[in-house]
Amino acid sequence: MADMRDGSALVEIRDLHKSYGPNIQVLKGLNIQMMPGERVVVIGPSGGGKSTLLRVVMGLEQIQGGSVRFGGKPYISAKGDKTVIDTELRKQIGMVFQHYTLFPHLSIMENLILAPRKVHGESRASARERGQKILERFGLGAKADAYPSQLSGGQKQRVAIARALMLDPKLMLFDEVTSALDPELVAEVEAVILQLAESGMPMMMVTHDMWFARNVASRVIFCAGGVVVEDGPPEQVLGDPREERTREFINRVFHIKA
Amino acid sequence: MGMTLDFSILLLFTDALALGLWTTLRLTLLCIVLGTTLGFVIGLLRSSGNAVVRGLLGLYVELFRGTPVLIQLFWIFFCLPLILGVEFSNFVSATIALTLYMGAITSETFRASLRSVGREQMDACVALGLPRRAQIVNVILPQAVLRAVPTLLSNAVSLFKESALVSAVGMADLMFIGQNISNNTARPVEVLTVVAAIYFVIAFPLTRAVTVVEQKLLRKFSA
Repeated sequence: MADMRDGSALVEIRDLHKSYGPNIQVLKGLNIQMMPGERVVVIGPSGGGKSTLLRVVMGLEQIQGGSVRFGGKPYISAKGDKTVIDTELRKQIGMVFQHYTLFPHLSIMENLILAPRKVHGESRASARERGQKILERFGLGAKADAYPSQLSGGQKQRVAIARALMLDPKLMLFDEVTSALDPELVAEVEAVILQLAESGMPMMMVTHDMWFARNVASRVIFCAGGVVVEDGPPEQVLGDPREERTREFINRVFHIKA
Repeated sequence: MGMTLDFSILLLFTDALALGLWTTLRLTLLCIVLGTTLGFVIGLLRSSGNAVVRGLLGLYVELFRGTPVLIQLFWIFFCLPLILGVEFSNFVSATIALTLYMGAITSETFRASLRSVGREQMDACVALGLPRRAQIVNVILPQAVLRAVPTLLSNAVSLFKESALVSAVGMADLMFIGQNISNNTARPVEVLTVVAAIYFVIAFPLTRAVTVVEQKLLRKFSA
């Protein structure tokens, strides 16, 4: 089992506790070990802590207990009231959000090259060249000089993915990236993510699209009530879950779909 | 007494009116530039800074927003020189007063626009590993300034009109000249109508510009 090979995990989340204020506990001792090359899809009911989990891994949240290791090194830990985050390790992780979060005052190309220039000190010319390549790869070659407001939701989300990839992340996080999209735009974004998956990019993803989860995941985690309820290959968790709560959830979701 | 209107009387005073307009424009432009800069700095300091600074600046902003501009003018024209023991020219006093007023108003505009840049933009900055300086300079501030532009233009138009109050403390602006001509000719209707028309001709394109900016500029740069 992967769990036994300590230290070789890409992401190792131990006993993670996260609450918003004194009364709202979102994560209650969550454990996940993600191996290099894995594509983990996290599913579960709303309010079960899926998005919070991703935000914690991105280093966007304070935690109340537990730790996260990344690439075998200490990354996030709770020390008393404080959350200690290794910001150098954080730079190796990219994230795409539900609502695009492009910088609306910058052109698409400027969105792409801002971080490489400011974080790695890359020259404008070199960053532009890489940016153009990524845009072309994602079918957005002609959009470099457009502004976010001129793009469709699907295009914006592909730009957001491209922007994150400009920093050569070792792990990509996708937080419900198709939930805000019109149905006809979902496929183009999922195609880009599948393309990334085929290129071997490790990813952790929250989605409500079970068809997509089955297609992209190498592993599915069912998360509810702030803990991992079930964790296994997609055929098992989505097709023949062992846990009663997972089964109920899957039945409900697929029932709605049918 | 016949009430026939005779606007031709104004033709005798075009030079005086032009001089008054020039004073009004100079004063307004200067106070817009200085006041907006002051407001920007205060807006930033009130959005961060330490508690004492925030408190003092808050007091200043609320005082100038909550009292009549006319009284502020009187105060700075007549009380400030006594306190400081320095005489200012009318133009300097008016500039100080209207700048402080404009600064208070625009600091609130900037503060609101800073707050309107969503937390999601901050999240994106962090996810991209942007250093703190780049977060502020490249992402948050440009968006805040863009969002502030329509309100700033409105503030500027208001200041242009409110600047007529400096005539009450004896400054020879457009309003002051108009009042003088009106008193000397006993033709207040014609004179004040023309003065109002001059203000309008300048203010109207600016208020229209606010709409254009909102429709064109902001739509292009909004999410």
